[in-house]
Amino acid sequence: MMIVFHFSLLLSPPLLAALLTYLVRDYRRWVGWSNTILSLISLGAALGFVIRVLVDRHIPTWGLQLDGLGLQDIFRVDGLSALLLICVTTISTLTLVLSPGLGKKDDFSDRPLRQYYISMNLLIAALLLATVANNVGVMWVALEATTIFSAFLIPFKLTKASVEASWKYILINSVGIALAFVGTVLTYFDFVAIAGEADNALNWSVLIATAPRLQPEILKLAFVFLLIGYGTKAGIAPMHTWKPDAYGESPTPLGAMMSSALFAVAMYAILRWKAVVDTAIGHHYTDTLLLILGVFSLGVAAFSAVQTRHYKRMLAYSSVEHTGLICLGFALGAPGLFAALLHLLNHTLAKSFMFFVVGRIEDRYGSNAIDRVRGLGKTMPWTSGLFTAGLLALIGLPPFGLFTSEFALFRAGFSLHHPWLMVVSLTLLAIIFVAFINHLNHMLYGLTPAGVAIGETGNWQLVPLFLCIGSLVILGLTLPTPIALLLNQIVTTIAS
Amino acid sequence: MTNMMSYGLEIGQMLLALALAPGLVGLVRWLKARLQNRLGAPPWQPYLELRKWLAKDVVMSTNASWIFQATPYIVFGSTVTVTLLVPLIATPIAFDAVGDLLVVVYLLLLGTFFLALAGLDAGTAFGGMGASREMTIAAIAEPTIALSISGLAIGSGSTNLGQILTTTLTDPAAAISPSHFLAFAALFIVVLAETGRLPIDNPATHLELTMIHEAMILEYSGRYLALIEWASWTKFLLFLSLLANLFVPWGMATLVTLPTLALATAAWIGKLILLASAIALLETRVAKLRLFRVPELLSLSFVLALLAVTSSLVLK
Amino acid sequence: MNDLLFSQLSTLVAASVLLFGILLVWRRSLLAYIKVFQWQSTMLTILFAIVAYFGNDPKLYWIGVLLFFLKVIFIPRLLQRFLVQIDVEREVAPYINTATSLVLTGVMVLLAQAMTNPLIRLITLPTRNGLPFAVALIFIGLFVIITRKKAFTQVLGFLVMENGIAMLAVLGTFGIPLIVELGVFLDLLMGFLVMQVFVYQIQGTFESIDVSKLNQLRY
Repeated sequence: MMIVFHFSLLLSPPLLAALLTYLVRDYRRWVGWSNTILSLISLGAALGFVIRVLVDRHIPTWGLQLDGLGLQDIFRVDGLSALLLICVTTISTLTLVLSPGLGKKDDFSDRPLRQYYISMNLLIAALLLATVANNVGVMWVALEATTIFSAFLIPFKLTKASVEASWKYILINSVGIALAFVGTVLTYFDFVAIAGEADNALNWSVLIATAPRLQPEILKLAFVFLLIGYGTKAGIAPMHTWKPDAYGESPTPLGAMMSSALFAVAMYAILRWKAVVDTAIGHHYTDTLLLILGVFSLGVAAFSAVQTRHYKRMLAYSSVEHTGLICLGFALGAPGLFAALLHLLNHTLAKSFMFFVVGRIEDRYGSNAIDRVRGLGKTMPWTSGLFTAGLLALIGLPPFGLFTSEFALFRAGFSLHHPWLMVVSLTLLAIIFVAFINHLNHMLYGLTPAGVAIGETGNWQLVPLFLCIGSLVILGLTLPTPIALLLNQIVTTIAS
Repeated sequence: MTNMMSYGLEIGQMLLALALAPGLVGLVRWLKARLQNRLGAPPWQPYLELRKWLAKDVVMSTNASWIFQATPYIVFGSTVTVTLLVPLIATPIAFDAVGDLLVVVYLLLLGTFFLALAGLDAGTAFGGMGASREMTIAAIAEPTIALSISGLAIGSGSTNLGQILTTTLTDPAAAISPSHFLAFAALFIVVLAETGRLPIDNPATHLELTMIHEAMILEYSGRYLALIEWASWTKFLLFLSLLANLFVPWGMATLVTLPTLALATAAWIGKLILLASAIALLETRVAKLRLFRVPELLSLSFVLALLAVTSSLVLK
Repeated sequence: MNDLLFSQLSTLVAASVLLFGILLVWRRSLLAYIKVFQWQSTMLTILFAIVAYFGNDPKLYWIGVLLFFLKVIFIPRLLQRFLVQIDVEREVAPYINTATSLVLTGVMVLLAQAMTNPLIRLITLPTRNGLPFAVALIFIGLFVIITRKKAFTQVLGFLVMENGIAMLAVLGTFGIPLIVELGVFLDLLMGFLVMQVFVYQIQGTFESIDVSKLNQLRY
């Protein structure tokens, strides 16, 4: 009984928040704030799950025994899910704290604000559902739902560019996610061919137990579809083409959600499936695919980062880069997986942080072209400091968390005898490094264009941002014991 | 079965086909007229046309060579030969050994080829135009026919028409396979193209911009015209019979006795009437395609035929 | 005998579903696309009924009914209403001309057959012979999405691809677990509605539903 309560504490707050926003006809500030407070409940529940997994050392599972519906053990939180829950709930709380409509003099009107809060909360709910779902079919359904809800969020302001971005986003992602479903069906087909029809056959825990008996040929084909499908969602090159457009045109909070939480959940789906396929046919096949895609993503990111002329698109290419790194990590055995998951956590924090900082810059300069932003250091001293810190963190410099995880990742690569691959990757990282520093210089110095006000506004919003960068520094200096324990536990279950 | 009876059957089948062909075309015209709320000419009108043409003198261009004179006989002759080779009412027939699908296809192509030559021979603009269009269509249509029938041939292990029919008759479940279905769809489109029906060619007009078959034979008159038109009507009947017999062979006679033959003939005529009505209905419903869409339609049927072949290979 | 009939019937209907997919590549008018999709979905419903009957799975009847209402009645009706409002009739000049598209379609079916051939040999389901057609239909849907210029046609390509996936599911597994099936329907419906909204927005902001005009975003 307690478990049900715990799961509903996690999943119901965003739904309640959406309902509340829907019911209160004119948008009020207290609605926005209660959304934030409700998201804190989810965050607490997520922490509770981490404690259950780490301290109680068991896997909370819940389901209904209804014939024909396939609801047995529908929710299940193991270490990996717990880690993702922390990522998703932290980012959603951060996003809701920094959302429009909370301050006194926001100039948004009623309708778009309500639409924003409803879609955002439903997006959060779908992400949480995808994370706790044991049934990979339900996970798919939830991930597909995130595409729909986030598409509603992109054209918060309706312009030609934003409509174009959302059309590309929804089309490419819907198609991609449909391919992931083909992969899911193929696996189920494999299962049915061997074990007969079963309602719980799509449960991950059942799949992984049956995996050794599944047909390798079918699983190989299925994994290709799954990798393309969820890879589209995660933005692995060459399926990343929607990413710069969508990131460049989406309103700040959505950009933060998409680039961190949504991305993390898509990578989570790939990892889940990799575990199943690896159990059946050994890790060589999936590793090869992921290594190829990972290096390719790094290459695409490097060349696009040099070319780009918009700083939000620059963040998108940085996302492609980190996607590539995480793919590499997934393919580099247990130490690589450890590094990749740590990197996922760091990246989640850093990227959402960057989107909020960049949102402040965009509000001030009224453009996301790098050419238009000059003299940032003088115009917004605090923000420019945060921006510089964030960009350095994304490049992978110490003392930020991403340095540690990238270092661990490359060490894993070298120790697994992939020296050439690692050298190529490091070269590409160096190109990205130079390109980003170049763009940064351009933005920080020079004369502030006429008509751009000087001085910070909305100072209270800086507080959560400083908290973010602070935690990134902490993650760069030490590895807190709970995180280390959690990661180790995941690595032993997934990579064994 | 004695040889005499078997050859008699062949001759009878040929005569029956030649006799019924004008009526079939007349039926389609009449049905179309009725569907379009017109009174229409009676179904036996083509017989009257034939009689009229046969009674008239031939007028020939001074530019025309021997090809122009020989073509009607070649076209008619090749079509009549095909009526001997294709099983129409009974399945093991005397000329079965020669009744190979490739022979049938190339005999029909021979007629088309000479018709196009004759269209050029008279030296008029329309003839050349019609010939070039006909050849464009034939270039895609002929391989499609061969391909779709080979889709069926793979199922029965022989390109012999009689063999294919016998296999389908003995194993009815095979007839509802996807390769049959796709081959039927492909062949149906090609038959429309080969026999100059809508939406590829409009048999009812002499509108210079659109005509294909009519343009080629514009210079013909008298008994030459009669032979060519009769041959092309017979070709129409042959193709419909192929469609009917290859995909729904039931009702065909496998023994040569008078009652079974009568029954088979009735079944055959019934199938022809059904198909003719389907074509009349189709011609009322669709408009003629623009000429440059025709190769696209034919490539559609080519793809279907190709898929028929591969499915029968894969699903064997 | 029963299994043989099941196998033949299901494969035949699967082939006809694919046939409508190929027809979609050939047709040009947007109204014809809707008709083709409607027919295809009808055939798919029949396929569900066949599998439900021979596979003894009454659950599939209900899914078939749901599919019928959604894909044969509801979605085509919305699409038609949309056509009336935007007053565009034809797909003009796709990126690849029709004849080449058709040949490529044939190649894609061959590819699907080559891809599924090893799978078909591994299993003994009576419906296995329809699997290549399902995979081919998914490819064709993808192809339509990539090569067509009208946002409207891209939506139809997506719907056709969804039909291919549904066909794959019903042929390969006799239906996925109900909870997933319902979720898929819900997602399909919402996804379609969202796409519909965006096609309206493209029409509103660009005064055309030609996606080749969506070229604002570079670098």
